[in-house]
Amino acid sequence: MKGFIDKVIIEPLREAAQKIVAFLPGLLTGVLVFAAGLLVAWLVKLLVARIVRLFKLDAVFARSGVTEALEKMSVRDTPAKLIGRTFYWLVAFIFFILALKVMKVPVIDQLLEKLLLYLPNVFVALIILAIGWLLGNFLGRAVLIASVNAGVRVSSLLSRGVKGVVMLFAFVMAFEQLGIGRNTMVAAFAIAFGGAVLALALAFGLGGKDLARTYLEKKFKKDEDAGPDDLEHL
Amino acid sequence: MRLSGPEAAATRPAAAGAGPVDILVGIPSFNNAKTIGHVVRAVEAGLAKYFPGRRSLLVNSDGGSTDGTTDAVREAGVDLDSILIDHRADGFRKLVTPYHGIPGKGSAFRKIFEIAREQRAKACAVVDSDLRSITPEWIELLVKPVLEEGYDYVAPYYMRHKYDGTITNTIVYPLTRALYGKRIRQPIGGDFGFSGRLAAFYLDKDVWQSDVARFGIDIWMTTTVLANRFKICQAFLGAKIHDAKDPGADLSAMLHQVVGSVFDLMEEYPETWKSVRGSEPVETYGFAYSVGLEPIKVNLEKMTEKFRLGVKDLGPFYRTFLPPDVLAALGDMAARPGREDFAYADDAWVKTVLGFALACRRKKARREHIIKSLTPLYLGKVASFVIETWDSGAEEVERRLEDLCLAFEKEKERLIAMWDGNG
Repeated sequence: MKGFIDKVIIEPLREAAQKIVAFLPGLLTGVLVFAAGLLVAWLVKLLVARIVRLFKLDAVFARSGVTEALEKMSVRDTPAKLIGRTFYWLVAFIFFILALKVMKVPVIDQLLEKLLLYLPNVFVALIILAIGWLLGNFLGRAVLIASVNAGVRVSSLLSRGVKGVVMLFAFVMAFEQLGIGRNTMVAAFAIAFGGAVLALALAFGLGGKDLARTYLEKKFKKDEDAGPDDLEHL
Repeated sequence: MRLSGPEAAATRPAAAGAGPVDILVGIPSFNNAKTIGHVVRAVEAGLAKYFPGRRSLLVNSDGGSTDGTTDAVREAGVDLDSILIDHRADGFRKLVTPYHGIPGKGSAFRKIFEIAREQRAKACAVVDSDLRSITPEWIELLVKPVLEEGYDYVAPYYMRHKYDGTITNTIVYPLTRALYGKRIRQPIGGDFGFSGRLAAFYLDKDVWQSDVARFGIDIWMTTTVLANRFKICQAFLGAKIHDAKDPGADLSAMLHQVVGSVFDLMEEYPETWKSVRGSEPVETYGFAYSVGLEPIKVNLEKMTEKFRLGVKDLGPFYRTFLPPDVLAALGDMAARPGREDFAYADDAWVKTVLGFALACRRKKARREHIIKSLTPLYLGKVASFVIETWDSGAEEVERRLEDLCLAFEKEKERLIAMWDGNG
């Protein structure tokens, strides 16, 4: 009976205890590495904040419309602060991976390997999204100002449309980079884009025929009262 | 360079070793065949009548006209007998030359300055090629203060329709006056007299790839004179009647070039304008008189509609750099449906313009976006001004503009404080 208890309960418990004891130094080292990582991440955040101040990047972000876009999204932090925070989490994440690595657990090792091979794709996808966002904001604002100056009543809609199209492109490219539903994304984009163009064409064709007639009449029929003013601005 | 008619050989002075000229008159042009002949004749008559003993050169700096502008210049000649001039101006020559660089008035002027320096001209003048009201007296008034009174720069003073020159009246004149302290009524008039040494000074400036090469040239010339303490006066030229500048020109592009140049110059000469308080009149030559001017058509509905659209759609953008009281005033104006209630108060307008200048200085957004977004607000101010002065005569309108100028001068201390980041 005693032999049976030893074999069924004590022995596995002893083995488990031995494994835990063998794993403990690794776990401790991992925790230490991660704690050190958090400290390094905090230092990196401070350094990045200083560099941002030094190169006056806040003004650059304001110029490119990033600050305005963040304000619209109710993000209270400045772009510079956001960059600092991103770096903080990036460094923390790297140290988290390192911490897992030093624990030397085979399953985790295999998962990490796959993750590390995939990470550059995530990085490139994030860069694509960031560029898309910046470009979308810039072009959106340029279109908004130009169309307001031209007296287009749907300026805001046009601006949002341009921003949306640029972001849509960016998302499709980012997903393609990540390899997520590559064919589905391309097909979905083609359908959505083609559908939007067709809808616009129909809307303009059907809904705008009176507008087009009025416009052409104004353009080609001389109307003394409705013409532009004679103001000489300079 | 192509030289005109029988004077061709004698008109290639630098190449042929001819001596310097006393007076150089430049005419920038681009497809102005309809009007340039009259301008050339007026210049020739003016030189013959008022400067008979002087060697003079007329330079047409052309931007590649395809409508026969340069032929019109070559063929234009004045019958001096018909205007009772019995002495011949033997020293008069014509030169037709294309300019290079960015297409625009500024590049055309650069060519004229180069020839002025090459020819060692003592006095120069530039006149627009689309003028219909130029007379020989304009040449006397633009050149004589330089040749005989020692001035470096003669700015024009015209009688214009009360709604003509609205960028000048609502932004450029009051702002330039408040900044540099001299009451130059038409700082971007387009027709100027200047000394040879000033032409050389202009040429040495590295600005020819900027907006100065386009519509920004006029304000740049005037401000450079004011900021560098050259001797300046005005000449009363009478009415200014001319063809529309460029019917296809986009108003926001015009604003961007002109107002952008004013803001650039604020950046270039901060110590000069910060040391100036108030303003003073400058010497004005010529016999002032009032003239009848053709009425012009104003589409108020279109202007107020664009203003409202701008306030609605660009509001979030304005919020990033305009003060809250101005934003509140704009919102209030945009919400009022009636034309009679539509009034853009002077102090709100001054704060608007200065807000845009400060936004450019602090790089709150891309400079072109900031300045072009001023267009709907500018149209709002013009509409408000038109409504307010609909029944006013020329003198009353001038008094009204004087109030606006004083409002700009009043805000100067605050501008200086904010410029230095203390406001």
